[in-house]
This record gives sequence, C-alpha cells and structure tokens, in this order.
Amino acid sequence: MAELKYAEAVRAALAAEMQADEDVLIMGEEVGALGGVFTTTKDLIEQFGPERVIDTPISESGFVGWSIGLAAEGFRPVVEIMFSDFVLLALDQIINLGAKVRFMSNGQFNVPLVIRMPGGGGTNHGPQHSQSLESIFAQVPGLIVAMPATAADAYWMLRDSIRCDDPVIFIESKGLYFREKGEVDESEGPRGFGARVARPGTDITVVSAARMLHRCIEAADALAAAGGPSCEVIDLRYIWPLDTDTIAASLAKTNKLAVIHEPVEFSGWGGEVAAWAAASQFEQLDGPIARLGARRVPIPFQPHLEDEVVPSVARIEATLSDLHGY
Amino acid sequence: MSRAAEGRAGAGGAAATIDVDQALSLYRQMVLIRGVEVEIETLHKRGRMTGSFHSSMGQEACAAGVCAALRQSDIVTSNHRGHGHAVAKGIPIEGIFAELFGRSTGVSGGRGGSMHLHHRESGFLGENAIVAGGLPWAGGAAWARKKRGLTDVGVAFIGDGGFAQGVTHEVLLMARYWEAPLVIVCENNGLAHSMASERLFGEPGSITRIVEATGVRSEFVDGRDVIAVAETAAAMVEHARTVGPAFIECQVFRVKPHSLSDPDYRYREKDAGQAWLETHDPILALRRRLGEDQGEALDRIDAEVAEEVAAASAAAEAAPQTPVEAALENVYLTAELNKNG
Ligand SMILES: Cc1ncc(C[n+]2csc(CCOP(=O)(O)OP(=O)(O)O)c2C)c(N)n1
Ligand SMILES: [Mg+2]
Repeated sequence: MAELKYAEAVRAALAAEMQADEDVLIMGEEVGALGGVFTTTKDLIEQFGPERVIDTPISESGFVGWSIGLAAEGFRPVVEIMFSDFVLLALDQIINLGAKVRFMSNGQFNVPLVIRMPGGGGTNHGPQHSQSLESIFAQVPGLIVAMPATAADAYWMLRDSIRCDDPVIFIESKGLYFREKGEVDESEGPRGFGARVARPGTDITVVSAARMLHRCIEAADALAAAGGPSCEVIDLRYIWPLDTDTIAASLAKTNKLAVIHEPVEFSGWGGEVAAWAAASQFEQLDGPIARLGARRVPIPFQPHLEDEVVPSVARIEATLSDLHGY
Repeated sequence: MSRAAEGRAGAGGAAATIDVDQALSLYRQMVLIRGVEVEIETLHKRGRMTGSFHSSMGQEACAAGVCAALRQSDIVTSNHRGHGHAVAKGIPIEGIFAELFGRSTGVSGGRGGSMHLHHRESGFLGENAIVAGGLPWAGGAAWARKKRGLTDVGVAFIGDGGFAQGVTHEVLLMARYWEAPLVIVCENNGLAHSMASERLFGEPGSITRIVEATGVRSEFVDGRDVIAVAETAAAMVEHARTVGPAFIECQVFRVKPHSLSDPDYRYREKDAGQAWLETHDPILALRRRLGEDQGEALDRIDAEVAEEVAAASAAAEAAPQTPVEAALENVYLTAELNKNG
C-alpha cells in the first residue's frame, strides 16, 4: 500500500473493516456527509450508506450507550467522539455499563465496541479540546486503551480493535493526523497487544506513546548526535494491557528507565510504569526512575504556552541527560 | 380534556377487551411480584441476605401490565427497583432469589445482587443501578433488532427521578430521530427518594405532556389499575412495533421506604405506605373487580404462588455460595486479557 497520513490510515482501516464485516457500523457527530471533522470518515457514507455510517445528535452519553446496546446485540459499532474531551459526557455509559456489563451479567452480554477519539494537543484547540485522558480509562477493568503513534499502527491497531470482542478506547493523536505519515503494508496482518522498540539504544530505556513518542525519538536523536546517551525508545501502543515484557527486556540492557507522556504527570499512567519497575525490576535499575508528563495545569491554546506545559523536546532531552549523568 | 385525563378516562372503558383469563394471569403476576418482594424483605430482616434492596410493593400493576404486552423475544431494561420487571418479563424466580443470596446459580452468577439482574434468555437485558443508565441500552438494542429485520420492541423502565436525567432526553430524541421500536415506561411513584415529583415536574401527567411536546407518542395511565395499564401498554407496544417510539407515564405509589434502611418518616407520614395500600392496593382492586365469581380461582392463585415463592427461596438459599474465584471471571471475552485480573 501507499504511504498514508495518520488520518488517512484511520480512514483506510475503517473502510477495510466495513468491507470485511457487515456488522461494523460507524456512529458519531458529523461522521456522515461531512466525513468527520478530521476527515477520518471521509466518503465512507457514499461507499457504505447511511444505514452503516450514522450521524448522531450531539448526545455523547446517549449515543455511546446506544452503541453499547447495538454491540450487545452483535453489531460492531465504531463510535467517534469528535474530541476526546467530549467523552467525559459519556463516562457513565462507558465505565458503568460498557466496561462491566460482561462482568455484571456473568458473561451473558459482551460489548465489541470501539470508541475512537482524537486526544492530546498540538493543534491549538484550547483547554477543552486538547486533554490527554487515557490514564482515566487505564484505571477501568473491562476496557482496553489503544494509542497508536504511527500511521501503520493507526491502521493495524484500529483493525485489531474493531475485531476485538471487548470494548476498546482508541485514542488517536490529533496532532499527528496530518503531520505523521508512513508506509502501511496491507500484507502485514494483526499486531497483537505488544509494545515495540521504536528506536534501539543501550543506555536508557525511554517508555512513551502516541504523540510524545515522536518527541522522545527526536530528543534521543539529538542526544546521540551530541555524543550523549544512547536511548532505546519504546512505543507502548497500548496503555492497557501494559506490555511489561518489552520494557523488562530493554531494561536488562540499559538499566535506566524514563517514562514520558502527554497526560498530566501527577497520577498519570507513567506512575504505574514506574511503580511496576520499582517493584519488580529493582535489581536492574542503576538510577532513579525519571518521569515527565504535562504540568498540572489546563492546556493553553497558544503554541508557545502549550509547549511550556506538555513535555517539549528540550525538556525531554534535559530529563534524559540528567538521568544519564546520575 | 387533557391528554392525561383522557388516559384515565380511557382506562375504565378499556376493560372490556381484557378477558377473564387474561385478568387472572395479570392477577397471578402481581401476586407473584408481591410475594417475591415480601419474601426478600423478610429474608433481609432475618439477616439471611446481605446488601440492600428497593421494594416495588404497590407498583406491581405497572410491571405486570406492561410486560403482558410483550413477547419473550422483546427486551427490557430496568432500574434499581427492578424485581417486579424481572419477574413479569419471565425470569425464573429461583434465579432472582439465588442472585440476591449471592449464589452461583443466581441469574448473574451471584456477583451482581439486587440491582444487577440480567437474563438474556427471557429478554431481560438488565437492571441498572445508575438512575436512567439502562435507557440507551434499550434504545440501541431495540434498534439493533429492527436493523436485523426483526419486529421486537424494547421497553425501558425508569422512575420519575430518571426523567430528570439528561440521558433520558437524549434517548427520547434519538429514538424519535431513528424511529426506534422503543417504549419508555416512566413509573411516577411521586418520589425520587425524598424529592416530590410534583414539585419537580408538576402534577401527575406533566411528564406525559413534556414528552408529548417532543413528538413522541405519550400516554398517562393510572398504575393502580392493571387492566388499564395492560390496555395502554398493548397500544403503545403495537405503536413501537409498527411506527416508532412511545412513552408511558404510569402513576404508581411507593409503599415501602426508598430502600431497606431508608428513614422515610423524615419526609412523609409514618404510615403513608400502609395507609395507601389499604385503600388503593392494585391487587385488591383487581380482586374486587373480578367479583365473587372468581373468588375461588383467586384464592387458588394466592396459594399456588405462596408455595412457588417458598420453594424457590428455599432452593435458592440451599445452593452453594459463589466461589471466590468467580470475582475474577468474565471481565474480558479476550482470554489473554483476563490474566491481569
Ligand atoms: C446517577 C445516580 N444518581 C443517584 C443515584 C442514587 N439513587 C438511587 S435511586 C434514586 C431515586 C430514584 O428515583 P426514581 O427514578 O423516581 O425511582 P424510584 O426510586 O422512585 O423507583 C437515587 C437518587 C443513583 N443510583 N444513580
Ligand atoms: Mg420515583
């Protein structure tokens, strides 16, 4: 297949699964004629019709709950939340019903549902359109939290998610939609839940995901070019399930760990990675675990202010240099 | 005449189309629901059940009348006060008792308890402990059936308190927009815990009028009269099956405190429940209406149901406790994800 932008890869994955399985439905605000505010459902209504590409009213709680009803009846809805911030209106249906109806009903109902949403910053959309909320979902039993960082992963992880029999929170990085592109190879096939080594290195294991992954790679390249540490950057791909095996294998080599993410650092998922490492990789660690997340403030809309808040390449470099010097 | 008043007036006239056998079957359902609720209360008071529960005593006519209009393949979602709906939709009562006893033979494996009865086989999708939380599920599932070319309808029971939730209004509009075969049944028992629905919405029938304004077909019915409820429900279910969504406001009365340990004397007369039951009990009302002729048949039903309830309760209690491993089961369908449980 050709080189695709991240947004195009999402769209291609939707089209492929719609083609493969008639039970796959798309629902959300402006997913039909408009084609999605980030173009991720462009032209799909022409191809698959309004029975399967369904525009919803602005009722996040209502249509997410409705899609749970569809999923429990055997459809495979892929629901789009226009901006991840708006998913907060649907948390009741997601957390109190979708995530646990299988448990509550002792397996009588399951929910093959994907809830897609553009998360994070980088597009100057302001405080109510730029949040990184994945840590909330990672806390909830019954959910899977997927966060692709590349076009190829956007494509394959979305296809995997649509085929998954459990509810998936699929957070796309809106800052990557049109900036990130890559080869998408149709012959590759499903990828499973594992993480991947995005950039090999020997001195520090840097765990990251989604948009911040690219900043980590940039920082690692800059450090290497300046004769600094050799950083191995891991792309988690899923916040839950957390692939600790891949991190452990890397730590056995580097003995130093940094966790860098876009959510607010306090109570962000990086703390979970750090706690896991402190508890089970103590013997491997030759230094403190470095953490870097957003500062504990809302995300401002101006680019230079936003960069002050979420990890910038410069802050990541500084964090990794400090750790190297320990 | 207001729509609400018409609904009331229509109730009497409608009686003619329900025959004696149907009336006896409605009677049996109501007595069964009452018997289950009384048994549960007794078991709690004797310390043999844990947790709490919300009794539907006094509201039996709504559950029985509405579910009489449904087929087994039709689907129901319910709320925290859902035992009556579960019984009326046909869940075997032993499975209900077992669930409340926390036995693995419970309909939800003994892990959900009073507010989490689920029984796919009888079309009872589930109760829901979040006020109005089950509404969108009913809408989506009913719409799914329609998309599959089936003629099943969904019924979602909510309380008057549930009508204050935003999601209720979202679902009303979505159901109308997509012409979903959904009937929302709002059991207006005058109270959302201690809050009087008259103060929030106005006199009974006001909720009906609010819904009417959305264009969804909406009827008010007196929930003391099971025949009227059954008649109204039959019409509304038929409307949902063939046209689109419908709404019923059913005026009922909550005889018991909100839940087991609710100090309801703080917000209403101490004996309000008992006093109401003495004059308005829907079971006695139907008994009176059927008259002396049916006295023997009704007595027989009472005796049969009493026996059925006692036997189901005893069998449920005798079943083994849910094993502790069950707490980790059925979180994910994807096997490899359950290992982190
Ligand atoms: C979202 C939510 N808020 C609050 C509660 C606590 N609660 C349980 S039942 C109830 C009152 C519900 O009133 P209504 O819907 O009229 O039903 P009723 O109890 O009268 O049958 C409340 C406030 C809850 N379960 N869910
Ligand atoms: Mg009420």
